[in-house]
Amino acid sequence: MSESTKGPHIVRSYDRDLEAIQALIMKMGGLVEAAILESANSLEARDEEQAERVRKGDKAIDALEEQVNEEAARLLALRQPSAGDLRTVLTVMKISANLERVGDYAKNMAKRTGVLLQMAPIEGSSGAIRRMAKAVEIMLKDALDAYIQRDVELAQDVRLRDHEVDQMYNALFREFLTFMMEDPRNITACMHLHFIAKNIERMGDHVTSIAEQVIYLVTGELPEDERPKADRTAIDPTTAQ
Amino acid sequence: MTDATDPSAQPAAAPQRRSSLLQLDERTRRRNAAEARFRLMGLIAVTIGILAVIGLISSILFNGASSFRQTFITLDVYLDPAKLDKAGTRDPEAISKVTTFGYAPLLQKGLVDTMAAQGIALDGLTAKQAAELISKEAPAQLRRYVMADVSRIGQTVTFDVLAAGRIDGYFKGRVTMESAALDRNVSPEQLMLADRLKEAGMLRTKFNLDFFTAPDASDTRPEAAGLGVAILGSAYMMLVVLVLALPLGVAASIYLEEFAPKNRFTDLIEVNISNLAAVPSIVFGILGLAVFINFAGLPQSAPIVGGLVLTLMTLPTIIIATRASLKAVPPSIRDAALGVGASKMQSVFHHVLPLAMPGILTGTIIGLAQALGETAPLLLIGMVAFVREYPSGPPDGFFEPAAALPVQVYNWTQRGDPAFVERASGAIIVLLVFLVIMNAIAIILRRRFERRW
Amino acid sequence: MYDNPLTKRDAVTKEVKISARGCQVYYGDTHAIKDVDVDIEDKTVTAFIGPSGCGKSTFLRCLNRMNDTIDVCRVEGDIRLDGEDIYDPKVDPVQLRAKVGMVFQKPNPFPKSIYDNVAYGPKIHGMSRNKAELDEIVERALRRGAIWDEVKDRLDAPGTGLSGGQQQRLCIARAVATEPEVLLMDEPCSALDPIATAQVEELIDELREQYSVVIVTHSMQQAARVSQKTAFFHLGNLVEYGETGQIFTNPQDPRTESYITGRIG
Repeated sequence: MSESTKGPHIVRSYDRDLEAIQALIMKMGGLVEAAILESANSLEARDEEQAERVRKGDKAIDALEEQVNEEAARLLALRQPSAGDLRTVLTVMKISANLERVGDYAKNMAKRTGVLLQMAPIEGSSGAIRRMAKAVEIMLKDALDAYIQRDVELAQDVRLRDHEVDQMYNALFREFLTFMMEDPRNITACMHLHFIAKNIERMGDHVTSIAEQVIYLVTGELPEDERPKADRTAIDPTTAQ
Repeated sequence: MTDATDPSAQPAAAPQRRSSLLQLDERTRRRNAAEARFRLMGLIAVTIGILAVIGLISSILFNGASSFRQTFITLDVYLDPAKLDKAGTRDPEAISKVTTFGYAPLLQKGLVDTMAAQGIALDGLTAKQAAELISKEAPAQLRRYVMADVSRIGQTVTFDVLAAGRIDGYFKGRVTMESAALDRNVSPEQLMLADRLKEAGMLRTKFNLDFFTAPDASDTRPEAAGLGVAILGSAYMMLVVLVLALPLGVAASIYLEEFAPKNRFTDLIEVNISNLAAVPSIVFGILGLAVFINFAGLPQSAPIVGGLVLTLMTLPTIIIATRASLKAVPPSIRDAALGVGASKMQSVFHHVLPLAMPGILTGTIIGLAQALGETAPLLLIGMVAFVREYPSGPPDGFFEPAAALPVQVYNWTQRGDPAFVERASGAIIVLLVFLVIMNAIAIILRRRFERRW
Repeated sequence: MYDNPLTKRDAVTKEVKISARGCQVYYGDTHAIKDVDVDIEDKTVTAFIGPSGCGKSTFLRCLNRMNDTIDVCRVEGDIRLDGEDIYDPKVDPVQLRAKVGMVFQKPNPFPKSIYDNVAYGPKIHGMSRNKAELDEIVERALRRGAIWDEVKDRLDAPGTGLSGGQQQRLCIARAVATEPEVLLMDEPCSALDPIATAQVEELIDELREQYSVVIVTHSMQQAARVSQKTAFFHLGNLVEYGETGQIFTNPQDPRTESYITGRIG
C-alpha cells in the first residue's frame, strides 16, 4: 500500500494508520464500482430487486465515507503528516468525497430505474447506458489502480478517457431528444433516462477528479492543462440537432 | 535462555513471574542483605574515622590546653636606684648597661620581703632556693619593664613575674612531689613553699597572653616560650604566598583554560602542573635552598624565602582549583557573552571570572591552609633556627629571620623539658584554629558567592 | 483580512542579507559542511532543519563566526553579509557579532539582574552616553522581546529567576538590544514548554518585520510554523532550500521527504 520508492516510517504504527485509511478507500471503491454496474444492469435487465439492492447499498458507502473522514481527521491531529503523507491524507479525503458522490449517482440511477420499470422500455437506450456505465466503471477501476500503484500515466489516461464518456452522453442526449420529438409519450421515460445518462456523465467527472488527485498525490501538483471537455450540450445548441 | 539445557528449568520460570509482591524472593533477599552489609561497613569506617579524629583532637587538647594558662607570682619589687642607676642620671643608655644579672637580686629580695610581709616562712629554704620559684626569664621581664620607663626606678612596684617551669608544671599536674624528689631543678620543699604562696594569694594561674606574643625561649625557660615570632613569620609567609600565588595562579589558569591553543605543548604543561601538585614538599625545600638562597642570595630563615617556596608549592593547587572552577562555568555563559559581541577577554573578565570566583577563592584558601601547615621545605631553608628577635614590620621584616608555626611545633617537640610538650600541643591547637578559620572562610565565601545559573 | 494567502508567500522575494557560496567547514579531519550555497533574505525567517549532526548548527555559527572560538574548526568559501566577506582578515568578529546577534538553545541569561542582562551589550558597544539613554535602550529591547510587561516592575531581579520561556525572551531582548541586523537562533525553544514556545514563535514572527531571522530547529512543525524559507541539511550538505510551504507539502528531494515525513532512509 505504501509507496515503494520510499522507506517505511520510523514509527511503524503510522504506516499502519495510513494503510488502514487507504484500505477503506479501496473498500469504498469496490462498493461504488459494483453499484455502478448493478444499477446499469438493473435498468437493462429491468430487475426491480437489483435496483433496490443498489439503493440500499448506498448507505454502506455513505458510512464508509464518514469513517474515512473521521480517520483522516484523527490522522491529521495525531500524526501531523507532511509532504507525501499530507498529500496522501488530503487525497484520501477528496477521493472518498468523490466516491461518495459517485455512489449517490448510482443510487439515483437505481431510483429512476424503479420509476422506469413502470413504463414501456425505450428501444436500445438501456444498452447504451449500460455501455456508458461500464466505461465509467472501468475508468473508476483504473483510477483506483493508478492510486494504488501511484501511476501518473494511468491516471492521466483515465483523465483523458472522460472525453469518451462525454461523447457517449452527447450521443444519448441527441437520441433522447429524437425520441421525445417522435412521440411525446416517451417524454417521461426519456427525461428519466436522460437524467441517468447525465448522472453517469457526472460520475465520469468525479472519476476524473479522482485521477487528478492521484496526479497531485504523486507529483504534488494538480494538472494545470485544460481537460478536454466534450459535453457541449450546455454551450453549443448545434449538438442538439 | 540459550544455555537452558535443562528442560525442567522452563516450567520453573513460569510460576516465578506470577509470584506475589508481598513475598520476597531469594534474589531480592540476598541483594537486600548485601546492601545492608555494605551500609554497615561504611558506618564502621566512618565511625573509626570519627573516633580517630576525636582521639587526636582530645589528646592535643588534653596536652595543650594548659599552655594557654600560666602561673605567675605577684611580688612587690623595690627598683633600687643604687643597683640600677648608680650614677643617678636616669640616663637610659647607662641603665641599659645593667644586665639581667643586676635585676635578679632585686627580684629575690622582693620575693623574700613580700613573703615576710605576708607572714610566710621560708621553712628552712634559703632565699636563693626560694628565688628558684621564679622563672629565669623574670629578670629580663623586669628589665624590659624598667627600660620601658626609667622613671620607675626608685619606686616599689607590684609585679607579676613568671613562675619557674617546674612550679607551673606542679600546678598543672605535670610535676608531683615524687617526681620533684628525683629532680635536680626542684625540690619538694620548694613545691610546698609554692603551695603556701598560692594560699596566701601571691601565686596565681591565669590566662597566658604571652604565649601568643612572646618569642621563643631557651631550653631552660619553657615557661617563657611563646609563639609570637612564629605567628608573625607565618603571617608574613602567607602574605607572600597570597600576593604571589593568587595572581600568578589565576592568570596562568585563565590563560591555559580560556586562551591557550589546545596542542601537545599545553597538554604537556597541564600534565606537569598536575604532577607538580604531587611532588613531595621537601623537594620544594631543596629547590628553594638551591635557587633562592644559594643562587639568588636571599637571607636564610627569612619569610620571603619561605613564602617563595610555599608559593611554588601552592601554585599547582591554586591552578588546579581555578581551572576546575573555570571549567564549571557553563559554556552557555561564554556563548551568551560572545553572542552579544563581547570580546574573549570581556567575556572572561565580565562573566566567567566572577562566576568562578568562589571556587578560585576556596581553592586559594585551601592552598594557603596547606602552605600554613607545611614544615618540611621550611626546615631546609633555615626557618628552624632559634629566633628570639621579632622581625621588623614590612617590608624589611620579610628579609629578617623568623620562625613559622609548624616549624615551631617541630622545634619544641625536640626539646628535653617536658614543659615543651605542653607548649608544642598548644602551638598545634593554635595552628589548627587558624586552619579551621581559613576553611570556614572558604566555606562561607563559597556559600555567599555561589550563584545558580 | 487575509491579504497574504499562505500559497502566495513564496512570491514575495526580499533582498538578500547573507549569501554563502561554496562554504566548507572542517572540524579537524571531519568535513562538517560540504559546499553550501545559500541566500538568506532580509526580513524573513529562514529555518534550518535536519537530523542531529547534519551541520545546521555549525553552519549557523559560521554566520557570526562563533566557530572562531573552536581551535580545530576551519571555514572555507565565501560568506557575505550585505556583500561584505565576513571572513575577511580585516573583519573583527566582535564587530560582526554586534551586527549578527545570537540566541542559544538553552536560555542563558547572565546571573545578573534583568536590567544588566539587557544593558550589557549596549554598554560594551558604547551605545549610550548616559543612564537615561541606557534605560531607554533596555526598555525598547525588552518591549521588542515581548517581555517588558512581565518584568518592568522587577528589573533588578536576577534574570535567572525567570521562567524558562521568560528567560529565553530575555535572551532575545538581550540579543536585539545591540541593534543587530540578523538574529541567529539555535534551537531557541527546545527547552521550553508549548505555551512558552508559542510565545517565542509569536515573537519571532514579529521580529521578522525588522530583522533577518535564521532559526535552527529540531521541530519540523516549528520550522513550518515560523519560517518563510526552509533549508534542509543532511550529512553536511544543503539538500534542499526553498519556500517553507513547498518544502512541507511537496519537497523535491527524496531525502527531504523521508526526513520530514519521518521515514527510514
